[in-house]
Amino acid sequence: MSTTVATPRFDELPTHLDRAVVKSWKVPAIFAVFTVVGIVLFVVLGRNGVTHFNLSTSTDLIKLPIAAVPTRGAGIIVVIVSAVLTAIAVALSYTARKVPLGVITLFAVVFFAGFLTWAAAGHTLAVPGLLLSAIGISVPLIFGALGGVVSERVGVVNVAIEGQLLAGAFVSAVVATVTHQALIGFIAAMVAGVLVSAILAVFSITYLVDQVIVGVVLNVLVIGLTDFLYSQVLASNAPTLNAPPHFPFLPIPILSGIPVIGPALFRQTIIVYLMYAAIFLVWFALFKTRWGLRVRAVGEHPTAADTVGINVNRTRFLNVLLAGAIAGAGGAYYSLAASPLFTREVTAGAGYIALAAVIFGRWNPLLATLAALLFGFTSSLQFSLSAAGSPVPSEFMLMLPYVVTILAVAGLVGHSRGPAASGKPYIKS
Amino acid sequence: MRITPSKVAVSALATIATAVLLAGCASAPTATKTTASPVVKGFLPCMVSDNGGFDDHSFNQIGLEGLQSAAKTLGIKEKHVQSNSESDYAPNIANLVAQKCTLIITVGFNLAAATKAAAAANPSIDFATIDDSSTDAANVEPITFRSDQAAFLGGYAAASYSKTGVVGTFGGISIPPVNIFLEGYAEGVAYYNKQKNKDVKVVGWNTTTQTGSFTGGFAAGTEARAAAQAEIDQNADVIFPVGGPIYQSAAQAIKDSGKSIVMVGVDADVYFTDPTVRSILLTSVEKGVGTSVSAVVKQAAAGKFTKTPYVGDLANQGVGLAPFHDFASKVDSGLSAELDQVKADIISGKITVGK
Repeated sequence: MSTTVATPRFDELPTHLDRAVVKSWKVPAIFAVFTVVGIVLFVVLGRNGVTHFNLSTSTDLIKLPIAAVPTRGAGIIVVIVSAVLTAIAVALSYTARKVPLGVITLFAVVFFAGFLTWAAAGHTLAVPGLLLSAIGISVPLIFGALGGVVSERVGVVNVAIEGQLLAGAFVSAVVATVTHQALIGFIAAMVAGVLVSAILAVFSITYLVDQVIVGVVLNVLVIGLTDFLYSQVLASNAPTLNAPPHFPFLPIPILSGIPVIGPALFRQTIIVYLMYAAIFLVWFALFKTRWGLRVRAVGEHPTAADTVGINVNRTRFLNVLLAGAIAGAGGAYYSLAASPLFTREVTAGAGYIALAAVIFGRWNPLLATLAALLFGFTSSLQFSLSAAGSPVPSEFMLMLPYVVTILAVAGLVGHSRGPAASGKPYIKS
Repeated sequence: MRITPSKVAVSALATIATAVLLAGCASAPTATKTTASPVVKGFLPCMVSDNGGFDDHSFNQIGLEGLQSAAKTLGIKEKHVQSNSESDYAPNIANLVAQKCTLIITVGFNLAAATKAAAAANPSIDFATIDDSSTDAANVEPITFRSDQAAFLGGYAAASYSKTGVVGTFGGISIPPVNIFLEGYAEGVAYYNKQKNKDVKVVGWNTTTQTGSFTGGFAAGTEARAAAQAEIDQNADVIFPVGGPIYQSAAQAIKDSGKSIVMVGVDADVYFTDPTVRSILLTSVEKGVGTSVSAVVKQAAAGKFTKTPYVGDLANQGVGLAPFHDFASKVDSGLSAELDQVKADIISGKITVGK
């Protein structure tokens, strides 16, 4: 009884300990910049004409009509909506309230729609194809990001995602060609990812080498090794070593008939369906199971985890291997689904984008997936716009995905805190 | 006289040296006899690839084959080094300079800057650089191609074949030797439209603004596939992907689309370099890197190196359009005759290609 009297309850703390009022003007400032860009592009430099959005593919069951949008009118509406959202953001920031993620998302969607309409004026944009390519570019990024999340949550920075993807792509191409089985190639890709991870784990956990340095070295090593093997072995024996069978498309009945998004999401190869499962499983396991609790404990406060009897380094070792398996599976997408062969450095930096997605996604598998999708969507968008005859030069269009990712990471996410012990080796004293 | 170990060693060395000298004297005449054509003494042609590597099924590979065939004909040796990244260019050239190469061929526009620097530093060594004519130095011979002339024929053929009235093209990176293909292709389509009073559209390249669709690299990855997919969505039924292996992604996107779409190959006759795409290969726009390298090497070997650019065009067969192979029966029956006429008109200057 006496203890309850002695210890004041949290809500009874004196009011002068109120949290400081912090006004963050970042979000309204970004909104304002985009609104001004919108005014310049869509109104001042507005293009006359009509933009058509083709919402169905030729094989869809439910055919939607082609939507015709008058370009300048849509631009003006987008600018007005952007200005209103900016005003809301200013008002919220003035009263020191956080701008909700919903408002930010709405702003991004509205602005993107305006940009699309403006850039494709006088042309037709095929939306299902745009989404299909967006998923296609995102698949390795999502697998890579999931691998990154698992590894970082347990306290090991995984810079080697690029190497894991590339090793997966290479090994799956060779194994699938030799065995004539895409599925065996897929499993081999996971094994390749595990092997890359094993080096990372041994050096960073057992020998306490700086995790970032090991990761970077591993990426360089895998690039060099696959380049060497490709030019010395694969290039001259392409039919026997580098002609893997590829996964067939397995449309899911009913779901693939959903207009607009159905074909992109549910008329895919098995790798993509496994990816959906992986996203859910990683999220569920991290936040709803005992395994996940342990992983997070080890990543946040290894000493505390050790005191309650969790073997910190063993947990880290196994989960880094698991992360490699997930990222390696993403590599298989290049060789077994995107194009049926391995080419030199086919990942082209996807692993680093996946790493950015991990941070952008605040070490949460679902948000990291969204971040990867954002990158995939903007990449795909620039190809669709180039094909539709956009006035924007290709060099700028190629920058778009990176610009959007940087803005999103730096601007809208702001400070994100990773697992406290990530990057720090655990030495049991 | 006492025989000491050192004296033995000295005399042994002297004997060996005399033997080597004599052997050298004896063998010299036979060596010159085996060489068929007159080759400048000490001539050593060398080659540096760009980061595509010599196994790219494309211009590095063809260039090396040209060098090797010339060396074989001349009965001389050659050296070649591969660049695995852009940071390899300058060290690779320096390495070949150190190995006493007398002619260094740098394959690709991306080596232009490194070649220029090396040529300025080594005025006694000759350089030939493929796909770049920006360097004006007494010891640099640019090897360039009127790829647009061949692509013009490719565009004409594509427009003729297209059923949907839309043809597409995209490139790897927007650099002059890539853009020139896209431009020629689009002009060929425009010429077809004018001749036949048709309205075949080109997606992926705009001749007015000189902008188009690019994958941002030369890897057959997800981006190249997305670029092809975007053109399939624009209803294109002939696609012309320009840039090494990116056509492989386009080929897979075409096969997965389930539509009857074809593609046009680039650099080599892809029918032979990659049999897996034969079923969707309409034709190829060939760029004769091999023949031109061979010609330049032979010229330099005879001591006639010149800074005058070697320009491969339709007239000297430095560029050309490959046969239709499996599609010969599927193209318009009059197409081959029309293409011959267009080709003759380009050579005679009746049709001007390029901007």
